[in-house]
Amino acid sequence: MSFFGFDATLPRDRGHQAYKPGFGATPDAFAGLSGRDDDADALDFEDTYDGLGDRLDETDDAFNDDTFGGEPATQQNVAKDFDFSGQTAKIANTLQEEQMLYTARQPPPKASPPKRAAKPARTGYENYAQPDYIPKLEANAGLWGIPPKKASPQPQAHQRQESQGAPIAAESSRKMMSLEEVEAAMRAQSRKPAAPQPQVPQAPQLFAPVPPAQPSPAEFSHQAGFGVPPQILQRPQAAYDQRPLSAPRPPAQAELPPQGVQHPQILQRQRPVQPEPVAHRQAPQQPAAQPQRPPSQPRQILQNPNRLSGQGQPIAQPGPRHGMQQMGPGHQRGPSYPANVVTYPQQILDMSSEERAAHLEAEAKRAKRNYKIHLLSKDNGLMTPQDKNFITRIQLQQLVTATGGVDDQGPEAALAEDFYYQVYSQIRGAPRQNPNQPASQFAQTYLFQTGGRYGNNRRRPRGGDNHIQRMEQQVQRAVEAAKAKPKNKQLVIEGSLGKISFSNAKTPKPLLNIKRTESGTPRPESAARRPSHMHRDPTTADRKVVLKDIENVYSTLMQMEDHERHMPPPLAEDSEPAVVEAHMLWRQTIQSLNEKLWRELKVMEPIIPNSPTPHPFIAILSHPKGKKAVPRIFRHITDQQRITILTMIVVHLDALDVIRNAVPTHLNGIDQPIPASVREDVELFAQTVLPPFFAYLAEAPLNIATGLLGLVLDRTNLTAVARTKIGLLVLTMFVSRAELLRPVPPAPPSAQDDWVQWTELYTRLFDAVEPVLPFVFPGSVNDAEDVYVWQFLAAMGVGASPEQQQRLVLGVKERVMETVAACRALPEEMRARRLGDVNLFMRAIGLDVELLG
Amino acid sequence: MNRFFTPFFKTLVDHEVTVELKNDISIRGTLKSVDQYLNIKLDDISVVEEIRYPHLSSVKNVFIRGSVVRYVHLPGAAVDTALLEDATRREAAQASAKAKQG
Repeated sequence: MSFFGFDATLPRDRGHQAYKPGFGATPDAFAGLSGRDDDADALDFEDTYDGLGDRLDETDDAFNDDTFGGEPATQQNVAKDFDFSGQTAKIANTLQEEQMLYTARQPPPKASPPKRAAKPARTGYENYAQPDYIPKLEANAGLWGIPPKKASPQPQAHQRQESQGAPIAAESSRKMMSLEEVEAAMRAQSRKPAAPQPQVPQAPQLFAPVPPAQPSPAEFSHQAGFGVPPQILQRPQAAYDQRPLSAPRPPAQAELPPQGVQHPQILQRQRPVQPEPVAHRQAPQQPAAQPQRPPSQPRQILQNPNRLSGQGQPIAQPGPRHGMQQMGPGHQRGPSYPANVVTYPQQILDMSSEERAAHLEAEAKRAKRNYKIHLLSKDNGLMTPQDKNFITRIQLQQLVTATGGVDDQGPEAALAEDFYYQVYSQIRGAPRQNPNQPASQFAQTYLFQTGGRYGNNRRRPRGGDNHIQRMEQQVQRAVEAAKAKPKNKQLVIEGSLGKISFSNAKTPKPLLNIKRTESGTPRPESAARRPSHMHRDPTTADRKVVLKDIENVYSTLMQMEDHERHMPPPLAEDSEPAVVEAHMLWRQTIQSLNEKLWRELKVMEPIIPNSPTPHPFIAILSHPKGKKAVPRIFRHITDQQRITILTMIVVHLDALDVIRNAVPTHLNGIDQPIPASVREDVELFAQTVLPPFFAYLAEAPLNIATGLLGLVLDRTNLTAVARTKIGLLVLTMFVSRAELLRPVPPAPPSAQDDWVQWTELYTRLFDAVEPVLPFVFPGSVNDAEDVYVWQFLAAMGVGASPEQQQRLVLGVKERVMETVAACRALPEEMRARRLGDVNLFMRAIGLDVELLG
Repeated sequence: MNRFFTPFFKTLVDHEVTVELKNDISIRGTLKSVDQYLNIKLDDISVVEEIRYPHLSSVKNVFIRGSVVRYVHLPGAAVDTALLEDATRREAAQASAKAKQG
């Protein structure tokens, strides 16, 4: 798309590719120009330019399509893009890349000829490798007609560029002898491929006629193929723009070094203008004359001169040295890009093609990266470290406040905070994987991540460490601040009338701030009141007291459960003293908690016979939540305490609400159904209190069963007990346990004695139960919930003597028959179940319902 | 109290609840999240009295500001009452401990 027609195609598409080893001619963009010098006055920009233009027009038509997009270059088309510098700038990167590629592709044969070493070693551009090099403007002396010392071609090179735009410069250069040398060199260069020869004597060739505008076909083709001319054309463009500024300057600079500082800037754009092979070629020891430092050129794909330094290619190499190496091969581009051409090509040329490709690729990558860095680094340093710290702290504080800092206190606090959720999750397997570790360890995570990031900063590891430390401190401070915050929830600003309450997610702003005046007082009062109340007003006050008792039990229970979680690691023989001590302490605490619980259960309160109010413990059991506490209590008490509780319950069996209220009542000869609430209580009791009971009794010795049964017989109203579900269940429990413990014949006498004792009690029980046998069944025959009765009967039947079994059968015969009859009308499944229930009993006494059918 | 309710509601996430608003609309839906203000997010909602509030019939999910909620009807099976009781006990104990301190 360039107006100037430089070759925008990729290098691989260009004629370059066709460059074969045998193709030794060094393309010389200025070969044509050099011929022009023959007529002394002719060297002005116009001529030079036209010559190139002609050549282009004639030969590069083939590329016009590439350049102009295939459309005929109508006036309109052209006019649209007519923006020299802009167009150039647009493709500057491409250009430079191409140049690099080209440089790299310079065929080795050209570079390696040994004779090159004989040629003048220096380009004169070496100094340009130094970024801060500001040329001494010897050239200007030439401008003023003073013969440059050592006939340096350098100034001329400089002027030559200038001459392209400025007649003045052209004129002055004309007078300088060294110009001829330059041209000669150019010619020599152009011929060199064909007849390489030491270049030192340039004079002879000075006048060799070279057709100015019509280079030899060979040359021509080179240039066309290389796309070099376009580059030349395009560069002067830049120079053109600069001309007005740079032309006058040189003289001044000689005297005023300070101004020279600006020079580089101005000339920087001009760099491209210097591709004259001449300068490169001859470059005696006149570094001073070089206008500007072109070195960063090749690298300037990125427009980032600094990049160069990192690249490992010594831009700053002292001139002489690479001057030696860098001769003909790079000469075309070399002059303008010493850094590249001078040092690079040589190195690159020494590489194999693969290496070169790899190198170029790496180069391109690096360039891209650097460009990115450059873009990113645009705002570098905008914030000071203090700014960053400030922001970080604010962020951290927000984090910590948002999460409340509970997490630092460990799982305990989380549990306290979140008890329901945590435990619920544990029980029911909620999503959280580690319930003890709440998800909000933000501060830590943040710190970790940040630390990692800074830790990886290879560039300044020390700074990174520092930063981590600082971050840690900040996190600490932030956490502490957040912790401290809730303590002063209010801020009173001096002189203001109100208070400002802080609030956050953790501690919402309290809308009501009611302080209990003295929390200690109500309690002693109620405690003092309690005894009297208990006896005076047994209804509401009592209920409250009982509820309070239950709550106390629960809170102690929870303390114990908490405490259990804190059990220190199990003791071993070689445990450390500290561990042992912790264990001791733990045991002490659990012991004291146990005692507290025991006190609060009030099991040991004196039993007041015939008292209107039930025993406190029984009262506790009369509340659903009291019942629910029993299984938990049983886990935390000793066997002795368990048997005590059992005894207490058994003694008060008929006083239990689940028995007292569940005894069927007769009203007008009809059994009144048990109220639903009582039934619920009964069920709850059966589900909560009885299981630990049974569990205990299942391992109890016979004398326990005997003793408990004795208590039932002695202390309770057995008729009432036997008519309730709970009562029957308890009795079944005793009887069946005893039956299991019946001693087999070769038993020790003590066991026999126990058994005898039991048998006596059993007989007493049987006698007591027999009259109520018809009434032990709940409801009518159709009531299916009578399994427990059959179980009881079965238990009784197993232990009964034949005579007792007879009485048993007689007692329940009617019900058995009724049930069997009722079963006939039932669906198969239910019938089987109910008959099975009946069979429990029937089989216990050696019968079967089948026999009845 | 929010401290207490928020975790409680967290256990009910993905259960169906009915939220009764102070403007008498009852919305049944799957509880998606609850925050400390007891703002509630429901999915797959249906209004209990759909005929009275036809404008809500096309709404599929809602975010309810906590302050407009009158009741939340909970699925009984998803609530562990005993545990909830304990949790309230703890809460009460902590509150009283705090009250004593302050």
